[in-house]
Amino acid sequence: MSDDFRASLELQHEIEQWYYREARLLDGREYQKWLALCAPEIRYVVPGRGNPLVDNALRGTEEMISVERELEERDGDRLPIRDETLPYLMLRVERAFKPNSWSENPPARTRRLVGNVEITGTEGETFSVVSAFHLHWTRPGSATFLYAGQRRDVLARAEGGSAGDLRIVRREVILDMADIEYPTLGLFF
Amino acid sequence: MGASPPRVADVVNADATLIGRKAWSDPGLYELEKKGIFGKSWLFLAHETQIPNPGDFVQAYMCETPIIVARGRDGGIHANVNSCVHRGLPVCRADHGNAKSFVCPYHSWSYSVEGKLQSIPQERHVEGRTDKSKLSLKAVPRVETWHGMIFGSFDPEIEPLEQYLGDQRWYLDAFFERFENGIEFVGSPQRWVLNANWKLPMENQLGDVNHGPFLHAAVIPPEANAEVFDHGYSCVAQPGHGATFRLMPEDAPLESVAWGFEGMASLLSPEIHEYLRELQMKAEERVGPIRARMKGLTYGVYPNLSFLWSNTAFKVSHPRGPGKVEYWSWSVVPSDAPEEYKRILRGNHTAFFGPGGLLEQEDSEAWTQQYLGSAIDFADDRPYFYGLGVGEEKPHPDLPGLVSVTANEFYARNFYLRWRDALMAVEEG
Ligand code: FES
Ligand SMILES: [Fe+2]
Repeated sequence: MSDDFRASLELQHEIEQWYYREARLLDGREYQKWLALCAPEIRYVVPGRGNPLVDNALRGTEEMISVERELEERDGDRLPIRDETLPYLMLRVERAFKPNSWSENPPARTRRLVGNVEITGTEGETFSVVSAFHLHWTRPGSATFLYAGQRRDVLARAEGGSAGDLRIVRREVILDMADIEYPTLGLFF
Repeated sequence: MGASPPRVADVVNADATLIGRKAWSDPGLYELEKKGIFGKSWLFLAHETQIPNPGDFVQAYMCETPIIVARGRDGGIHANVNSCVHRGLPVCRADHGNAKSFVCPYHSWSYSVEGKLQSIPQERHVEGRTDKSKLSLKAVPRVETWHGMIFGSFDPEIEPLEQYLGDQRWYLDAFFERFENGIEFVGSPQRWVLNANWKLPMENQLGDVNHGPFLHAAVIPPEANAEVFDHGYSCVAQPGHGATFRLMPEDAPLESVAWGFEGMASLLSPEIHEYLRELQMKAEERVGPIRARMKGLTYGVYPNLSFLWSNTAFKVSHPRGPGKVEYWSWSVVPSDAPEEYKRILRGNHTAFFGPGGLLEQEDSEAWTQQYLGSAIDFADDRPYFYGLGVGEEKPHPDLPGLVSVTANEFYARNFYLRWRDALMAVEEG
């Protein structure tokens, strides 16, 4: 993640608008339309978040308390919360439209706020973007839950696409809860 | 505080066809469970592949008691209660790692990874000497392993682990023995908390494959269910354990029998197809002709360990009171599988099970709602009906224990009869 990248106002505006539209589609349960925003090669990852042993050798450094050390997916031999490709996301979308997906019947009411949108790099028509979200979630008969986290996205402009025509190539969702006391992490974050 | 618990004999009837709602919601019965079940059983802790080197450790639980499972300097496995003998703080806060010692944050007493008290910094300011040998962390009195699976028991008198598992080993071996180089656990377990009673997730894996076509109809294709109806068995080697699987016909095509293809064939590269075909070709030699045709579904090991064959996960249902459970789920892969396939197996676990799982979303909803139903007032005269298929289980020439179609709820009746005996033993003091 480079700290010195400066996106143009125009690009910043385009990407922010794109995120607002994505949030509106998800909160409006327009999952088919959301799925169309995913690139065929999408990788959608939610790393686990553990509590590793403090490494004394790192004392006094930022690395000692870095978020990265807590992520249980990075080295490939640990267990993420989710690690999915397009077929899995399609299955989730398909399920949402069936009356017998009981944990979504009645469906949850959600509201996503996406902010702190920071474009950290571009390569041609591919953009690395970090953002933060708060997702308010509730279902009839259930408590309400606040999911908070960070998205680390790679977005690409569709071949020959106009402004705003972006696809998610990679999304990594860093969830901020310490213990998982939520009904599900099977949402579209 | 509160009313005394109902009598166990009034909660579970003599053949466990009727089970009162209080079994899942009464705090007094929960205290009996702690003593009669969690104090008296072998409880799963971890797998040896998680702690290969001296100093490696992982956290575990035995019921609500936090445990550190560590590989000692001596190469042995040590399980100790994670609580300082000075004032009780946990001496280890990380989920896993490699440590030279565990140092308590409060007054810095330090313990070896084997659990021995090594130093008391305050000691040099007082005249008396403390006998540290009597101040180790509380060790789990019995620790044994089988196929690398580490179990602990608080009961020093408990029968050996292999005897406790009994013929359930035959069913578990159908998986373990299939892999020449064994299996490994992938990293740390997923762990999450549900407002449900610990027994329902357990019962679900013990043999309840019949909720699949209904609760999971949105995801599980009908062909998969047809196979369960046509070739499915539910087996109880010993009350409290259970195994469900399909015994595929002898002339079934290899890919429909072989472990690892199920529901994923189209996602797998030719190289992985080859690996799985080879595994299956060796299966008969490794596990025998019957078990080579076994396609597992779910298994349960009394009281709270389960194995989900189809998505290669071991799970433990840790009670947190009558209405709360901390459910743990480990992904398991054959040690010698191609890296790419290990990743696919891992994904096949997390996409369907665990906190983000497509299927488990429905299960956890059901378990949460079952607890609510068990805790309502004015319905105690409507115990739950566990009477499907009473007496229809029979011995089988090729399969140990009693065997039946999967719709027979005898696996659950057997579990609750063991539960009943265990709690009544405490009741009688
Ligand atoms: S409580 Fe552990 S050192 Fe005092
Ligand atoms: Fe289920």
